[in-house]
Amino acid sequence: MVIEKKQTGGSLLFDVLQQHGVQHVFGYPGGAIMPIYDALYDSDVEHFLCRHEQGAAFSAVGYARASGKVGVCLATSGPGATNLITGLADAMADSIPIIAITGQVATAAMGSDAFQEVDIFGLSLACTKHSFQVTNVNELENVLHQAFAIALEGRQGPVLVDIPKDIQLATVNAVLNDAVNLQNKVKLPPANVGKAIALLSQAKQPVLYVGGGVGMANAVDELREFVKATALPSVSTLKGLGALDPDNENYLGMLGMHGTKAANLAVQESDLLIAVGARFDDRVTGKLNEFAPNAKIIHFDIDTAEINKRRAVDSAILGDLKVNLPALSVPLSIKPWQDKCRQMKHDFGWQYDHPNETIFAPAVLKEISEKMPKNSCVTTDVGQHQMWAAQHMSFQDPSNFLTSGGMGTMGFGLPAAIGAQISRPNDCIVTVSGDGSIMMNIQELATIKRFQLPVKIVLIDNSKLGMVRQWQDLFFSGRLSETDLSDNPDFVMLANAFDIKAKQITLKNEVSAAIEEMLDHNGPYLLQVKINAEDNVWPLVPPETANDKMMEST
Amino acid sequence: MNDYQLIILADDKQVVLERILQVTRYRGFLINGINAKVNTGTHIGTIELMVSSDRPIELLVDQINKLIDIKEVKVDSKTQQSTA
Ligand SMILES: Cc1ncc(C[n+]2csc(CCOP(=O)(O)OP(=O)(O)O)c2C)c(N)n1
Repeated sequence: MVIEKKQTGGSLLFDVLQQHGVQHVFGYPGGAIMPIYDALYDSDVEHFLCRHEQGAAFSAVGYARASGKVGVCLATSGPGATNLITGLADAMADSIPIIAITGQVATAAMGSDAFQEVDIFGLSLACTKHSFQVTNVNELENVLHQAFAIALEGRQGPVLVDIPKDIQLATVNAVLNDAVNLQNKVKLPPANVGKAIALLSQAKQPVLYVGGGVGMANAVDELREFVKATALPSVSTLKGLGALDPDNENYLGMLGMHGTKAANLAVQESDLLIAVGARFDDRVTGKLNEFAPNAKIIHFDIDTAEINKRRAVDSAILGDLKVNLPALSVPLSIKPWQDKCRQMKHDFGWQYDHPNETIFAPAVLKEISEKMPKNSCVTTDVGQHQMWAAQHMSFQDPSNFLTSGGMGTMGFGLPAAIGAQISRPNDCIVTVSGDGSIMMNIQELATIKRFQLPVKIVLIDNSKLGMVRQWQDLFFSGRLSETDLSDNPDFVMLANAFDIKAKQITLKNEVSAAIEEMLDHNGPYLLQVKINAEDNVWPLVPPETANDKMMEST
Repeated sequence: MNDYQLIILADDKQVVLERILQVTRYRGFLINGINAKVNTGTHIGTIELMVSSDRPIELLVDQINKLIDIKEVKVDSKTQQSTA
């Protein structure tokens, strides 16, 4: 269907967004984007005013990750646009489909160092999948259609569209074309699985290594079928958590720097590693040339550039996981290896007994994970609390665990939870944060207040930049440089200032009741969990070390 | 260090050259020379890029190929030589 309509560039933007199913956008207004905000006034698209453009970008990321839809954020030129950059870089590293719309100074003023002019188009090159600058209003519609297609096709990622003010104001005879087919996946030749099947059937000690690509490809069911057919011992990356069934007897947990001992040992001993939507990241491999030293590699991916990037492969299977995973589903006879892996899983299981009265964060997170409603979604910030959440909470889908993986961006958790809550109003959204990280986007409590979002904030408070403190203790002779936060604000009072109910707990025997109170509360809630400043995340593979040489708690 | 010559066909857009140079530098390749021209009839730009690096050229080819405006990337095999 084709509709012709005379309108401004600004109002055309919202028509095209709606055509692509966008109901919610996150943003912050300013001079060079005022015509777009004026058009918003008449639009049915619902706008959520964040209190910093970084918050808007992360809310768009959280929205996209929790729902599988494209997240959209808006910002003005200059400082508004540069405030989006960290969110774009984060979305780029984790392959998240978001679209950032920035206002720009009018075309006649561009290149003159005008007020609030910054070359955001130039800045975007290193932190987006693609970017556009629209200099003719007649191109706007097509650019927006392309932005959606590019954000979603193949390996997903962020797209920026920079729109000068005069283009937003210009009249356009828009032809609202049918939205381009979004499922137009990158065309790759049919994968040749013959070699991979041969490798798989010869392997005696194969391990399945699952990454974030599985969730992105919407292939959780296919992966679980594959695991059922092959009964492969399996491990997950941080971003892959939720793809594998955490209760499967052959699932060994997360691998890498803070991975489980069983997962890392199994991978190190494997003779075949089947990487699925994973990219051999340095936090996963540890010392690269000692990673899985005896393993041949089968690598499933949608992105050709990931093949042989960090580890040479024996068989590459490029393309859609939904199609390619079933092709490799063959029963295997690897019982002795399965038994060995299960034994390691049993022998090196988590210990939750913890002396003294102070609260043990891993046990708190495990209890929250067990008590929160099914299909709850957890977001995290970055640091020790993030690793404890990854280790001790369990998820049935990757869209239920949102964490800044590739970029490790502090400040992610709270705005991502806001985006997740808006995309899934009926699900329980929990954010696990640290007393350092939460301050990086603390202003978003005002967004929670304004929209009465029932986000549950679990603040693991060690009065330290804990993860950095841990490294200073272990690798910098205990020289604690700039990691003390003992003069933190009163977080309960701070939450209350935003009409958010809050409670502080300091003792083990307070934990269960507090978790129940938080989960039963109808609105937003902040639970401040005071823990010992010296608690460390274990195991830990030191930098540039092989994954089997992990340090463990003593 | 190995020297390579890439021949890149791309849509004729102002920003294409910037994108190619950014990716080339970021992925660890030194630029030794560049030659670029646009065929106004086809709106296709041809960029010849002379680069050197210790890294395998496939890494760069794959990354340039990922850029949305790129049509084709070829390595001119005659120019592949080791200067190490
Ligand atoms: C934006 C940003 N700045 C700095 C860092 C480096 N960094 C990683 S973890 C960490 C400490 C985080 O402290 P906190 O949020 O209190 O969490 P904890 O480790 O104590 O659980 C820092 C500073 C980062 N990841 N992101």
